[in-house]
Amino acid sequence: MIEQIIIFGAISGGLYALLALGFTLIYGVSRVVNLAHGSFYMLGTYMFVFFGTFGFFVSDPMLASILALIVAVIVVGAVASITYRLTIHPVIGDEVAVLVVTVSLAIVFQQLMLLWYGASFPRVSWPAGSVLLESTSIMGVTVEYSRIFAFVVSLVLFAGLMVFITKTKIGKAMRAVSQDREVAMLMGINTERLYMLTMFLSAVLAALAGIFITTSIEKFAGPWLWLKPLALSFSIVILGGLGSIKGSLLGGFIMAFAEKTVEIMVPEGGGIVGVVPLAVIIVTLIVRPKGLFGKRIEMEE
Amino acid sequence: MVIGHLRRAYSSFAAHVFDIPPRFMAFLFLMILLLVPATGLGPYYLSIVIYANVMAILAASWDLLVGRTGQISLGHAIFFGIGGYGSALLFKYYGLSIWVTIPIAVLIGSLAALLLGFPCLRVKGPYLALVTMAFPLIISSTVSWGPLVDIFGGELGIRGLPGFFPFLPILQQRAAEYYFTLVLLFASSVLMYKTANSKTGIVFMSILDDELASKACGINVTRYKLLSFMISGLFGALAGCVQANLLKVANPPMFDISISFLPIIVTFLGGIGTIYGPIVGAYIYAILDRYVLTDLLPRLLRDNFQVMSLPSWYNFAKLLVFTLIVLILVIKWPRGVSRFTTDKLEDLEEARDLDERGPRIWKTYKKKKSSTPT
Repeated sequence: MIEQIIIFGAISGGLYALLALGFTLIYGVSRVVNLAHGSFYMLGTYMFVFFGTFGFFVSDPMLASILALIVAVIVVGAVASITYRLTIHPVIGDEVAVLVVTVSLAIVFQQLMLLWYGASFPRVSWPAGSVLLESTSIMGVTVEYSRIFAFVVSLVLFAGLMVFITKTKIGKAMRAVSQDREVAMLMGINTERLYMLTMFLSAVLAALAGIFITTSIEKFAGPWLWLKPLALSFSIVILGGLGSIKGSLLGGFIMAFAEKTVEIMVPEGGGIVGVVPLAVIIVTLIVRPKGLFGKRIEMEE
Repeated sequence: MVIGHLRRAYSSFAAHVFDIPPRFMAFLFLMILLLVPATGLGPYYLSIVIYANVMAILAASWDLLVGRTGQISLGHAIFFGIGGYGSALLFKYYGLSIWVTIPIAVLIGSLAALLLGFPCLRVKGPYLALVTMAFPLIISSTVSWGPLVDIFGGELGIRGLPGFFPFLPILQQRAAEYYFTLVLLFASSVLMYKTANSKTGIVFMSILDDELASKACGINVTRYKLLSFMISGLFGALAGCVQANLLKVANPPMFDISISFLPIIVTFLGGIGTIYGPIVGAYIYAILDRYVLTDLLPRLLRDNFQVMSLPSWYNFAKLLVFTLIVLILVIKWPRGVSRFTTDKLEDLEEARDLDERGPRIWKTYKKKKSSTPT
């Protein structure tokens, strides 16, 4: 029981952190609350299914799958930057308009996927015969290799992003813009291009989280699957503090452990897991409204 | 030369025709609406207008909260659903008449808004939008949760509500429902409009414009925000319980994101921050969605082009089109249709004042207006 909570919670936690990181990154840099973040998760899974049928002229199905993953993620990132430039950029700075535009974008993507794939739920998984579909036993709990793979990849990506943000020049530019946009502009940072790049990164993270969560846990893609990840990512971000990277990591793990506890301990808990984010949000708002690591939130009092 | 004269003639003509007090315009609109059932429309067409009435109440309540007070709510479905479920549960457990359940459900909705307002209003801006968006998601998963199926009826919801006028034949029933919803719409929109333009409404506007400044003026901002939340929740719940009783069912889709999104579409069609804008927008939306795209266009295609059955993607494309319209409106034309008309009217008035100065000034004046509200 406890082992299950720890292992499955840790696996989901890494992926949730990845999902929330994208959300918090774009908020931190450009102050856009991107309600279409869940759509990039959904688009990622669909693109993975779509490019999974391509083959890419390689004989090994696993290699083809990995290539499909990379292409899908890049396509989603490109779509995100283009939609950012066309729709969010003209209204940036107007909070209501940004929220309405991003919700509209989410619904547009949902309807487009409905038009493309119909109301069916394509199965998303690694190719048959792949080693990832087998399972092993850790502490008496059977875990598929796909989940371990997802966990390892998510941690590696997270670490890589931390290095990217703290060490590279673009990362420094991102932090500079998030601290003070105008001064960063005076220092010669092209904020437009930086915003588009951040949007690309954020969508890539969402798509990766989507592909890994669907291949290892959810198993199916669906046009309505943007709402749940969106709710998750923003509750994690409220818990961890909007705009904080450490917060999204810790928040992701806390949320995953809380969800798994409810799912395993409560009878018929699978149906009520959706209530966990609300409970977390309410407790956070009452106890510590700025979140665990939040700094620059405009408060009521 | 000729065009200039024509334009001047048109503008002076239009300015005189449109030079009617707004109160009289509203009265005229109401008169036209009152005559709708007398034109002999079938039950389906009446149900479109009934739907427009209910959605207008919901959208106006959203506009009062978002357009007037500036508290962004992306989860207005919560009040809609609470109203519907409140009315249905009262009927199911206490067998109360519909005329008792609706006022109680409306009060429950207002109370729920108060309770939700306490944690929600500790934060503002994007945080508030995110939190409000989370509530309906979570309530709907609670309502359809397995162990609570005996109370809330699970995925199917609570069925078999009595409806409004069960003793009348179908056409008269629709007409009676129409008049009932119209009276509700009229009463609630007058109430909301009066609230929005009363002293309280001015305080709401001051919170929208500058919260810090209104706090500095000694206004208890939190109390007024809660008040706005409660008024909005009250009318949202009213729309919800009327809709549940019209359809005779209260089910989890009442908490759906599309219900939260609908007031946004409608308000941006009509014009944000005006209260009457959403009502106009609701009619435009209902007629476009339920009549033009659902009834008229398929019939035209069938009669003229022998297209017997529409492809299965047609229904998906409808929402896509509306969402794209909203997207374009928000980006390019953020003041909405009714704001556009009022702008035009103001332009015409100005033009009449500037008449002797010739048409060129009018042209430059027209270009000047492009500032956005909120």
